[in-house]
Amino acid sequence: MDRLSVLLMGFLSMVLVNNFVFTKFLGTCPYLGVSGRLDSALGMGLAVTFVTALSGTLTWVVDFYILTPRGLEITRYICYIVIIAGAVQLVEMYVRRFFPSLYDVFGIFLPLISTNCVILGICLFIDIWGTDNLLEVVVLSTGVGIGFTLAICIMAGIRERLIVSDVPTCFAGAPITLITAGLLAMAFMGFAGMIR
Amino acid sequence: MDKLRYFVRQSWLLIVSSFCFGLLIAVTDAALSEKIEQNKADKLNRLTLLLLPGAKHFVPVDAQFEVGLGRGRSEKVTVYKAVGETQECVGWSFGAGGDGFSGRIELVVAVDADFGKLMGFEVLVSSETPGFGDRIKYDYYRNQFRGAPAGELKSVSTGSADKIDSEIVAITGATVSSEAVVNILNSFLGGVKNQMREEGFIGDGKGR
Amino acid sequence: MAKDDDRQVGVYKRALLNGLWNENPTFRMLIGMCPPLAVTTAVKPALTMGLSVIFVLVCSNIVVSLMRKLLKPHLRIIMFTLTIATFVTICDLFLRAYTPAMSEILGAYVPLIIVNCIIIFRAEACASKCGVIVSALDAIGMGGGFTIALCILAGIREVLASGRFCGLEVMPSGFVPWLAMQMPVGAFVTLGLLLGLANVLTRKKGA
Repeated sequence: MDRLSVLLMGFLSMVLVNNFVFTKFLGTCPYLGVSGRLDSALGMGLAVTFVTALSGTLTWVVDFYILTPRGLEITRYICYIVIIAGAVQLVEMYVRRFFPSLYDVFGIFLPLISTNCVILGICLFIDIWGTDNLLEVVVLSTGVGIGFTLAICIMAGIRERLIVSDVPTCFAGAPITLITAGLLAMAFMGFAGMIR
Repeated sequence: MDKLRYFVRQSWLLIVSSFCFGLLIAVTDAALSEKIEQNKADKLNRLTLLLLPGAKHFVPVDAQFEVGLGRGRSEKVTVYKAVGETQECVGWSFGAGGDGFSGRIELVVAVDADFGKLMGFEVLVSSETPGFGDRIKYDYYRNQFRGAPAGELKSVSTGSADKIDSEIVAITGATVSSEAVVNILNSFLGGVKNQMREEGFIGDGKGR
Repeated sequence: MAKDDDRQVGVYKRALLNGLWNENPTFRMLIGMCPPLAVTTAVKPALTMGLSVIFVLVCSNIVVSLMRKLLKPHLRIIMFTLTIATFVTICDLFLRAYTPAMSEILGAYVPLIIVNCIIIFRAEACASKCGVIVSALDAIGMGGGFTIALCILAGIREVLASGRFCGLEVMPSGFVPWLAMQMPVGAFVTLGLLLGLANVLTRKKGA
């Protein structure tokens, strides 16, 4: 029961309290680029969730069982990026073959996200936090992906409204999106301290 | 054989450059790793010297300590003995950490030679709210800990900050961060003190 | 002969100056946006990050440009990524050895240079097609533009958040710091306003 509550707290903290977009500024490039419409935002979010869950786990396993015991930490960044690229390929092939309808939703975003900060970011932060439990790693990685999806969908909903509102011309597009993101970040700050 | 040749022809650049890059990284690492280790040790020394001014250098204690943090989690701790000019023990220091309001707080804690009084703490890592929880780094909050008993501390919302005792006045508007610091200190002070006593490093007037 | 030389110098000049304003990665092309938000709470970390990016950009552009005739098309992304990852690892080691305080403040954002869109984008768009000198100049220009953008953002945020610029007090003693500038809100909003300003300036120039 205790174990479960720790995992649940970890998950909630990744989604709300330590949302990677609003507190760590990761994933800003796709966030600005793809959040124009709600359905593409959802697709991007799902793609990111799949890949973070898979690569977070894989990189932790490799780091914990292969790199650290052998003192090979110096190759950490290269290994992570290769694993992430491989994971993205795997996810793409797997989803295209077995879930073609799902592939229609988010398949095109997959090649874009191998250079997404969120993926490498979660691998690095899991390493910094010193997590030593496989289940916790899986839960945290998935939580980060879900947090990103939440953030991008909220932004997409707002942007759909912004298009029809009266934004000054020089602020249209990226500037107003960033200011909105700032206000969202401030709103999400209200979640801090939720987890004790 | 043909397949192998095709494979090699396609990816020879990848293989060769991987070797070259690996070599480059290994050389840089060999050249710089000593300095990096030195930096880490220097930082800990610099911070602990602020807390224990009489110390000349620090010797890690030759025993394994582990502190229980509740909810089934525990952390390993390395305790350092602060040695003065005449080789006498001027105090002990160790790292302590736990969850704050927003993220992990890591401290360097120093106590006096017989683990009776807290000599203070320095904040190593924290990401508390600027202007509120961030004030745990400020002197007016940390000075309450200098000379406080190295035992059960209590965070209170009102009181006299100048009086040095086991009651710590929390920062206005940052109750959670203040309580977090006190909780971290309580878990670590209690745990390390008991284990040090068991190992015979302190207590009964015997110093090792 | 002289005309060829002139044209060559013109090409070099264009490559260098392009990244500074016309195709400034942060203000015009909107790529590599994660570091500008994350490390700009003070000018020193921003400058360190900018210089690291310049280092990685120049090294990776030179190496990719040297390799450009040998690259197989379907393997090129992984070659770029490997090159960049190597130089970021080296840069990280240098930072940890010679500027430990900065390295701690930057934390995980140094290895995140690997996935910084600017570097892969320049490798793809320029280094894999042009000669070594042009690629190197382009890298310096792009990196320089990025560093300038970071420093402007960091300067505003540091002065408003703590009254200091690069550690020196610049605001009068009665100044109450704008704490919001230290938090994510300040980052997003300041960058948004600066982008709006850049748009205004471009429009005035164009019109």
